[in-house]
Amino acid sequence: MRILVVGGGTAGTIVANNLARRLSAETRSGKVRITMLSASDRHMYQPGLLYVAFGQMTPDQLYRDQASLLEASIDFHVDPVKQFQLDQKKVLTEAGKVHEYDILVIATGSRMVPEETPGLNEGAEFFYTEASAVKMYKRLREFKGGKVAVAVGVPHKCPIAPVEVMFALHDFFKARGIRDKVQMKYYYPIGRIHTIENVAIWAKPEFDRLGIEYETLFNIKEVDAKNKILKSEEGVDVEYDLLIVIPAHRGMEVIERDNLGQGGWIPTNRHSLTMNGHDNVYVVGDTTNLPVSKTGSAAHFQAEVISENIASIIKVGEPVRDYDGKVYCFIEAGHDRATYAMFNYQNPPDLKPPSKPMHWFKVAYNQMYWTSVRGLL
Amino acid sequence: MTTQTDAPLTAAINTEDLQRLVEFAQLVTSAQDAMSDDIVTRLARVMNEGITLLDRLTRNEGLMTLLRVLDQPESQRLLVGLAEALRVTSRDIAVTAPANGGLIDLLRGVFHPGTQEGIRLLSLLGQHLNNSLREQHRRGS
Repeated sequence: MRILVVGGGTAGTIVANNLARRLSAETRSGKVRITMLSASDRHMYQPGLLYVAFGQMTPDQLYRDQASLLEASIDFHVDPVKQFQLDQKKVLTEAGKVHEYDILVIATGSRMVPEETPGLNEGAEFFYTEASAVKMYKRLREFKGGKVAVAVGVPHKCPIAPVEVMFALHDFFKARGIRDKVQMKYYYPIGRIHTIENVAIWAKPEFDRLGIEYETLFNIKEVDAKNKILKSEEGVDVEYDLLIVIPAHRGMEVIERDNLGQGGWIPTNRHSLTMNGHDNVYVVGDTTNLPVSKTGSAAHFQAEVISENIASIIKVGEPVRDYDGKVYCFIEAGHDRATYAMFNYQNPPDLKPPSKPMHWFKVAYNQMYWTSVRGLL
Repeated sequence: MTTQTDAPLTAAINTEDLQRLVEFAQLVTSAQDAMSDDIVTRLARVMNEGITLLDRLTRNEGLMTLLRVLDQPESQRLLVGLAEALRVTSRDIAVTAPANGGLIDLLRGVFHPGTQEGIRLLSLLGQHLNNSLREQHRRGS
């Protein structure tokens, strides 16, 4: 049985490691072979980029060697997929190799696409890559005061990031003694300040308390970087001195190129996590088109379901679990306090008041992540 | 005026339980105040590495077999013997003159009964190690 995992991010790594553990006897005897193809030999802790953007972490703290995170029985190659040939159960790689499989796990993730909005690359700061997070930190350091606009594109990775940025900005300017010289305004594309209703209900009084203004139904159209004006699809022009944007995201190019899913999001069964029309192809993490957040925690919970099901199919011929849509998001609420949102397909989140122990839990999780991707937590 | 509902609370105050609760709360508050993000990060990192190391050790078949063997009484005697040998060897080597080299000295050593027994012990260990490795390769593990 040949299991091929494409993608070495959070989802792919957890699936591969969990499978290697569950199928250790089968891999030792040669009955099962697990192969991983990744675009990089390094693994990044992506939530740490927000800390880099605020000078709370340095980029080197975000990385580990991918091979060091994987079980020894996993055949690991740094060789991204160039083409999926699902009908022939094989993939072609950038290096020109062919990998055949019996079971395929697609965990290629997502990417921000600021270049699709005119002027965004020139006029805005982001934190979704190492380079952009470092650039944003430098820009924040030199900022002396004025109008700060934070706008949100859709869809985007980590739905909590927009509100966390606001709290982090408030703390950052306050710590530098310039909060009273900064006018902070938040622009969100739908009719409330967060896509998850209970998060919106919770965040609104927090924004009010901290003097953060907000405007809803604001969809980014373009940025006039020269004159520092952010324009919306709704016809509103906003002048700014510092613009921070959560850019819209897409799935990876290879997914779109091979017509596996519109926007790079693969149509996925919400419970079995198999690709629609392909029972031997599993989709996990950001790559799915599921109506859940594109976060590491969703990827983690999905990865556990997938690896348990693949292992049970190999051992007893049937899957044993369904994904219930579970997501768990920490929310850094500023002042060294945090809360969390846990929800699934059926139940919305019920946010608790932020506390210091929850903040420490998040701080600790920044380290525990490495235990988590190894499949230990 | 004390009512019936106040009675348990009064009893708690009288028995100093409340004072202990206050002291406990003060301890927690003081620990919270002393804690910083850096401390939590360091603790979490140690825990993370500790769990990873423990996982690797406990899933290492060779190490687990060694631990099982060392748990048996005869193996413990071997360990005691090894520890004693290390102690005596360390002491003896300090007072033994350096070897001159050459076949004569080598032969003189070989004729010593202790040397012969030592070679026999190592030879026995080598034979069993060889047999075990051969058997593992035969089983394909």
